[in-house]
Amino acid sequence: MTDEKKPLQRSQKQLKSATLIKAYQKEWWDRTQERLRMGEPYAICMADDAEDIFTAFDIPVVVIPWWSAMISAKRMSEYYGNVLSAHGYDMDQYTSLGLGVTLDHKPEIAPWGGLPKPLVIMGTTMSDVALHITSVWAREFGCTCFAHEFNYNTPYKPYPHRWWEKIRNDWDQVIEPYKLDYKVQELKDLIRFLEMQTGREFSYAKLTEVMNLVNEQEDLWAKTRDLIAQSSPCAVTLPDQLSMYPAQWHRGTPQGRDIIKAFYEETKERVENGVVACPTEKIRLMWLGVGLWVNTAFFQYFEEKYGVTFVASIYTSIAADGYARTIKNDDPLRALASRFTFLGVQETEWLVHIAKEHHCDGVVGFECGPQKQLWARYLEKQGIPVCELPGNNVDARQWDDGKIRDLMTDFIENRVLPNKKQN
Amino acid sequence: MTAFETMKKHYQDRSLAALEWKKNGGKVMGYICNNVPEEMIMAAGFLPVRLSGDPWEGTELAEGYRIPYPRVGFVETMINKLLTEKFDYLDYLVVPHSRDEVWRMWTQLHFVPELDPQIRLPEMYFYDNLHTTFYTASVYNRDRALELKAQLEKWSGKKMKDEDLAKAIDITNENRMLLKKVAALRAADPPRISGREALQMIGSSMFMPKEAHNRLLKDFLKDADSLPAKTGVRLFVESSPLDNLQFYEVIESSGAVVVGEDNCWGNRYSDTPIEMTVNPFESIVDRYLKKSPCPRIFPLQKRIDYCVKNTVASNAKATLIHVYEGDNAQAWEAPDQIKALKAAGMPAKRVKNQPYLLSDSDKDELKTEIKEFIEAL
Repeated sequence: MTDEKKPLQRSQKQLKSATLIKAYQKEWWDRTQERLRMGEPYAICMADDAEDIFTAFDIPVVVIPWWSAMISAKRMSEYYGNVLSAHGYDMDQYTSLGLGVTLDHKPEIAPWGGLPKPLVIMGTTMSDVALHITSVWAREFGCTCFAHEFNYNTPYKPYPHRWWEKIRNDWDQVIEPYKLDYKVQELKDLIRFLEMQTGREFSYAKLTEVMNLVNEQEDLWAKTRDLIAQSSPCAVTLPDQLSMYPAQWHRGTPQGRDIIKAFYEETKERVENGVVACPTEKIRLMWLGVGLWVNTAFFQYFEEKYGVTFVASIYTSIAADGYARTIKNDDPLRALASRFTFLGVQETEWLVHIAKEHHCDGVVGFECGPQKQLWARYLEKQGIPVCELPGNNVDARQWDDGKIRDLMTDFIENRVLPNKKQN
Repeated sequence: MTAFETMKKHYQDRSLAALEWKKNGGKVMGYICNNVPEEMIMAAGFLPVRLSGDPWEGTELAEGYRIPYPRVGFVETMINKLLTEKFDYLDYLVVPHSRDEVWRMWTQLHFVPELDPQIRLPEMYFYDNLHTTFYTASVYNRDRALELKAQLEKWSGKKMKDEDLAKAIDITNENRMLLKKVAALRAADPPRISGREALQMIGSSMFMPKEAHNRLLKDFLKDADSLPAKTGVRLFVESSPLDNLQFYEVIESSGAVVVGEDNCWGNRYSDTPIEMTVNPFESIVDRYLKKSPCPRIFPLQKRIDYCVKNTVASNAKATLIHVYEGDNAQAWEAPDQIKALKAAGMPAKRVKNQPYLLSDSDKDELKTEIKEFIEAL
């Protein structure tokens, strides 16, 4: 908690560590692009599907959501969406934007000049359609689609109560052993495939190092998250917290670990010195869904009018709660397999936990339909008011500013404030 | 009542046989999709009944269990029917790891006791299996089948013997063989059975005891030669799961006849028999691993090849590809299926984003599209 003797100061500058990650990202993108241009074998895979294996091999990996984000950042989503539609692929376009680039065969306009043929595309079972997308993409490239089962969202018997307290050290008791056995076998198959294709040899020691670095990074993130959660007013804005998330893409490397270490130290310093995001903070909210941080006017309005600070999201907490896995019996592969089989990111009891840990007065969900969704009903049942905002993060035309402000205003005045008074 | 009329009655009233079974002291086990081994359920002494959606059901209660993923109507109405206890005759329910929307039901339904404790659901079991059919997957699936067997034994209170499994295999294999005769009558020139009739004959098999269904099929088929010819342009339908007749009604009132389909409520349900190998259990496991693929199965090429092969085998003139709103996996197969069909000399047309419940204007629009497609052939 903030030292009450020190006067509160609004943070004037963006987090210093946010500029660190930005700079490293750019350097990494440039370096990776160069490696691909030089013909190094590389892989394409879905997020949290197999990256750590490639990190251990020092095989560059392009992760599908990042690539889609890159394409969107170059404002080419609509163009490649049209390319996909022209080929008949007009559903789930965000995940398939990379395929659009490949189908277009126009390096002169493509981001990075397009991607060269990869060594492998991991056929993800994150969803049935993602498996099709990666299959088609591999076919278009003429490379192997290495289909693999399970993903962090794999169906499971109901999540164990307070799984987040067990998953770090007791993952082998949370996840079915037969799933772990299968996933380990698959990872071994993948490793053998990569060894044969690249002529490189996989190193057990290197994988152990990667896993240890991941654990260090995520433990630091957990400490940072806990500092933020307990700071009142909140020490670090949610946009700043989310700006650190790309460090997850570099987990298992010294750079990823060091960036989060800097984040932790900076947060600690802020808390010790009474630096806060919003000195007039009166209401703390959790944000669910993709970020709308380009629309800062929206958040500023509610900060100024009601003292609303967004303090929590699943992204920052899953890094803290879900990724680290203790290596047991000197078997880093099995520990890694446990993460590829279970991450808990969609789990509702955990959402309640995050909201309560951050002392949130409510939860705001984005990209929701007209009816209260399951997660919202569950949160309400636990006494946490929920506001569901309609819209689409990709299509700005679906943002109805007036309607959304009305929904938020109604939520704050008629749900959050009365609930706070009552409690 | 003729054999067909009886099958039609069971298709329309899908709880009929289950209620009769229960009246006679039996227990009913519901299952979803067609990758749950019915033979094992039968060998355990239960009546297996496949759950279906209902376009006219509504989704009011199911909407309170929505999660942020694409939705398909037949699953959402299935959930609604469970929540409104229209499946209250079920003693047990097996939810398989099949398409995304189905396995997510498993997660969604687990919130019912907490959010709506007044709603009674049958006791449920999650039956896991994988997207691939490699050797390692076959071992995994086999182990899950062993667990399912153990669960069925627990529920039934008795051990499942090889002879019980063998008997069930004989019955279901006979059912598949008879349904393949139905399929042959559709592919014949001229076709003797319409698509609507076929869906009712195939579908009713999943709602009643198979022995009784076999008797009905034999009765129906003994007069096969005198069945009147069906007229219309011969079409093959590649589609999202069609658990109702709406789409076929539109097609077959537009000057066409559906001579075959790739659909788990159609020919694909019964086109792969169980081949006896080392013992009945292994034979069952083998069949369910290797049966005709549905859209969740890797690789995609298997699905494309299946579509083309069956279109050709049904002597269709063209293929209609139907995709429900939200059925992204089916939607993503369509472009490659169309390409492959065209390469095989088969014209193809996709009708996409189809609502689960077709309004009159939806039907009119579809009719126009289908008529234009047929006229252009």
